[in-house]
Amino acid sequence: MSTPPQVYEPFKAGLPKLGKYWKSLWSRRTFISEYSKSELREQHFDSVFGQLWLVINPLLLSGVYFILIVIIRGGSDGTRYLHLTATLFLFYLISNSLTGGVKSITAGQRLILNTAFPRVMLPISAVVIAMFKFLPTIFVFLIIKAVLGSKFEVEMLWAIPVLFITMFLALGLAITISCINVYFRDIASFLPYLTRTFLYLSPVLYEASELDPKLRVLEIVNPLFPILDSWSSALVHGEMPQISSMLQGLAWAVGVFFIGTYFFLSREREFAVRL
Amino acid sequence: MSSLSVSNKHTTHEIAVSVRNLGLIYTTAIDSRPTLKARAKALGRGSKQTRVVRALDEVNLDVEYGQVLGVIGTNGAGKSSLMRCIAGILPPSQGRIEVNGSVSTLLALGVGFNPSMSGRDNVYLGGLAAGMSREEIEGHFDEIAEFSELGDAIDAPMRTYSSGMYARLAFSVAATVRPDILIIDEALSTGDAKFKEKSLNRIKELRSDDRALILVSHAMKTLRETCNDVVWLHKGKVVQRGEPNTVIDAYQKFLNLGKSAAIDEDV
Repeated sequence: MSTPPQVYEPFKAGLPKLGKYWKSLWSRRTFISEYSKSELREQHFDSVFGQLWLVINPLLLSGVYFILIVIIRGGSDGTRYLHLTATLFLFYLISNSLTGGVKSITAGQRLILNTAFPRVMLPISAVVIAMFKFLPTIFVFLIIKAVLGSKFEVEMLWAIPVLFITMFLALGLAITISCINVYFRDIASFLPYLTRTFLYLSPVLYEASELDPKLRVLEIVNPLFPILDSWSSALVHGEMPQISSMLQGLAWAVGVFFIGTYFFLSREREFAVRL
Repeated sequence: MSSLSVSNKHTTHEIAVSVRNLGLIYTTAIDSRPTLKARAKALGRGSKQTRVVRALDEVNLDVEYGQVLGVIGTNGAGKSSLMRCIAGILPPSQGRIEVNGSVSTLLALGVGFNPSMSGRDNVYLGGLAAGMSREEIEGHFDEIAEFSELGDAIDAPMRTYSSGMYARLAFSVAATVRPDILIIDEALSTGDAKFKEKSLNRIKELRSDDRALILVSHAMKTLRETCNDVVWLHKGKVVQRGEPNTVIDAYQKFLNLGKSAAIDEDV
């Protein structure tokens, strides 16, 4: 086997050759899984207590929010708790993707300065890690649903395409924010405020149907709104989500992914001199 | 560590690296840690946040197999930028670079991806990012660990390493994979005296007809002993290239005089 000659020339239109870039990315797919495993190991998620924490943390959060809702609104039922848990778990997939993604480039400084590789691997790895953290919570949700006596309907399978849309959106957001953080290193400090705002503007603590019609604009401007609403419809209510909501979520995910990726790829050549 | 570790058969005088009319211009932040807050504060003041750097200008350079090329120049001469362009880390702004063979790099900061992870994890991640397969890294790992003399510390988080330990692991990774083209940038000056000598001996071992070595260093004695060709860069341009003693003598004369006729012609 011989190494093919490598030719380095100026980028045209600010973008690397996409075919070559994709090939290079694909050949390094093992990095993404190894990086995710190493990161999870470092955060002790390979241990029983580490994995338990993955589940306990969002459960505690949903418990706290549930108590808050009960205090503020009075009596509540199992469906409300299910909605809160399901949407909060999915919200954390996006939130963890952002938190992991934001510093993925700046933290990889040494590697970036020393090695030629598709930089987009780093935010992708952050999303894969968030996904690993998310997966156990699905089983926890299903157990809670069974315990609360909620029916398991075939329509719940609609959650699968919703999850794919969410992953696509999370990837786009992680890619975008990792690139922004190279230019403005304090973005990571603003992130908790941003995610908290999105949490309150999304149908997590309330259901979309309860929203005041005057606030319906949130459905359009908040990319998480249609996704979380569809997720709840499928998993909690066992209903087919509104196709318009799913399409709206998909449009946001595709838009964010492509704009963010273009922004990232057209800038990544600069990372080595910006870090 | 960069590119593949697959070693190919090459013959002496075959071109390993061809650099043609290379120019590199980039924009970088003046502040080492640019923030949105600083940018917002600067709004209206008109103060500049970025600067344009012309790091390389019309550089032409061929490196043949069998050559050990030393790269010298003052700070900011463009040595590291040239190495990063050859390694594919910085795409050129103009010109063309052709690299025929597998490349391994040790560019100043060396190996190390995440300081919270162990040396072992970092070696694997660095190798995988560079395009090596897990099997290839596994095949070299024992040798890397042994050469680095880190012992059990290889499984400790890299944040617990001293700068010397960091340098030892970095050098071991780059020099153990036996690439066709090895680029080492000012990394020989790190580590203790014993390891420095060991590193130098490894470089001498790596000199062969089917390999090209590029060494960036301020250690003129090392370059005189190791290289068979030296290029002198100044302000992004090639000032002189040729027999090591001749070029190094001219460079040292320039350093002493602070000015050179050759540079006057080029700038």
